[in-house]
Amino acid sequence: MHYPTPISRLIDGFMKLPGIGPKTASRLAFHVLDMNEEDVLSFAKSLADAKRELTYCSHCHYITDTDPCRICNDTTRDAAVVCIVQESKDVMAMEKMQEYSGLYHVLHGAISPMDGIGPEDVKIPELLKRLQNDEIQEVIIATNPTIEGEATAMYISRMVKPTGIKVTRIAHGLPVGGDLEYADEVTLSKAIEGRREL
Amino acid sequence: MYIENLTLRGFRNYSEVSLTFEPAVNVIIGSNAQGKTNIMEAIYVLAMGKSHRTHRDKEMIGWESSFAHVKGNIHRRTGPTVLDVIFTPKGKTVKVNELEQQKLSQYIGTLNVVMFAPEDLNLVKGGPAERRRFIDMEIGQASPVYLHDLASYNRVLKQRNQFLKDWQGSRRDPGALLDVLNEQLAAQAAAVVKRRFEFIQMLQGWAEEIHRGISRGKEQLEINYVPSADVSYGMDLSTLKEAYEQAFQTKRDQEMRRGTTLSGPHREDLLLYVNGRNVQTYGSQGQQRTTALSLKLAEIELIRDQIGEYPVLLLDDVLSELDNHRQSHLLNTIQGKVQTFVTTTSVDGIQHETLSKASIFEVSDGQLVEVK
Repeated sequence: MHYPTPISRLIDGFMKLPGIGPKTASRLAFHVLDMNEEDVLSFAKSLADAKRELTYCSHCHYITDTDPCRICNDTTRDAAVVCIVQESKDVMAMEKMQEYSGLYHVLHGAISPMDGIGPEDVKIPELLKRLQNDEIQEVIIATNPTIEGEATAMYISRMVKPTGIKVTRIAHGLPVGGDLEYADEVTLSKAIEGRREL
Repeated sequence: MYIENLTLRGFRNYSEVSLTFEPAVNVIIGSNAQGKTNIMEAIYVLAMGKSHRTHRDKEMIGWESSFAHVKGNIHRRTGPTVLDVIFTPKGKTVKVNELEQQKLSQYIGTLNVVMFAPEDLNLVKGGPAERRRFIDMEIGQASPVYLHDLASYNRVLKQRNQFLKDWQGSRRDPGALLDVLNEQLAAQAAAVVKRRFEFIQMLQGWAEEIHRGISRGKEQLEINYVPSADVSYGMDLSTLKEAYEQAFQTKRDQEMRRGTTLSGPHREDLLLYVNGRNVQTYGSQGQQRTTALSLKLAEIELIRDQIGEYPVLLLDDVLSELDNHRQSHLLNTIQGKVQTFVTTTSVDGIQHETLSKASIFEVSDGQLVEVK
């Protein structure tokens, strides 16, 4: 199919987004043509603004429009606990929970020699520096339960433990509200491994 | 369990064929290149959802067909089940009792098969990788957790090998990350090796007895797992883990020099001894063949231990390779217990009551006719 240049450029643009193939991209592009001009301009502006105005917090490396970020600036939060996550979107997931009141540290990745990512390529040196200055008493490692996430957790734990700061790892196992019989064997075996005394 | 009915549509050289089988022995006779092994492949496909010969599902779709369909009525201890495997150029569909299964892992397990083909001699003669594959497949059939542990092990191994390669020849200290990778790899190695030791222990029990039977009490088979660290059967996970960490520590300089991991389940092997002598190196053709056969027949018993009934046995072109005594021992073993499919170019010269009672099918150019 031969589209006029502006629309094929738009389609190409949408296709650069994750999870969007050629069909969805052209559906979105044609939808944009039907939208009123005001909405299109405000959408384009928010795309550009998001890129231009957002930076990373110099303390925790979470995306922010103010530095330090709102979470780091919030004096009601518990500055003695830091939760370490791989990505900014993990902070959003944790915040949705509304149960955690400590601070965060975003690594922006996990250690993976196969991808050429070593400890210095994620924000681990920054974390260690932060631990020297701040009044932090516990770090909760919430990296993903993958091989790379585990390696990162183990590495951080080795680095932090000698400082006397408490290091914990989030649990993994059965989802809440799920039936035991629907859990797959691997999840079940991990749940058994991580059982605790009542 | 046994297969009552098998229907093939557009499968390799069969445009449409429907067969009813005996719960006992079914012999498929035909000249070369007529489609004997295709029948075996279809049964294997019905059990595993994939071929034993090819990774490309499309190959199984016949030349003049747009899809390949294998359907089977399986009789299990618990009752009858209908299985369907359909390949189209777009992908495959698997069904249990007409119900489509999203995951292949949910499909596998309804029909269990053990296949013995001439290539299985490689189990004895071939390299260590063949034997590791055998162990991994056998344990994996019954344990998804093992497959997960093995996949995790391989993933960490890749990461560690890349790390060692990056540091190869460097005189600087690789630091804590190597310790982390060692710990992580040792933990996965421990989980894998613990299951392997347990499996070998069970396999040894059955294979030894079967081998004694086939060799008329003259040969004693011994199976030894050869680990790459100071570990043995019966150790718990933490002891195994420590032993592998120790092995990584000991070989550290060597590994840094070569840029690869030198210990772990990926470097381990089975040694097979007959009367105290390594049959892989010193055994005769016949002894090697008997050993492979003993391992396969032990597999049948292991599956029965696990699921409470015998699997279906597929003997592809192997009966003719065994001498009279071994043939009759094999046929005695399966007699009345195991539904067996045998392919051969001729049954002349094989005198055994099991065979004289068997159903015989003749294959000729994509047509199958029951002749007895």
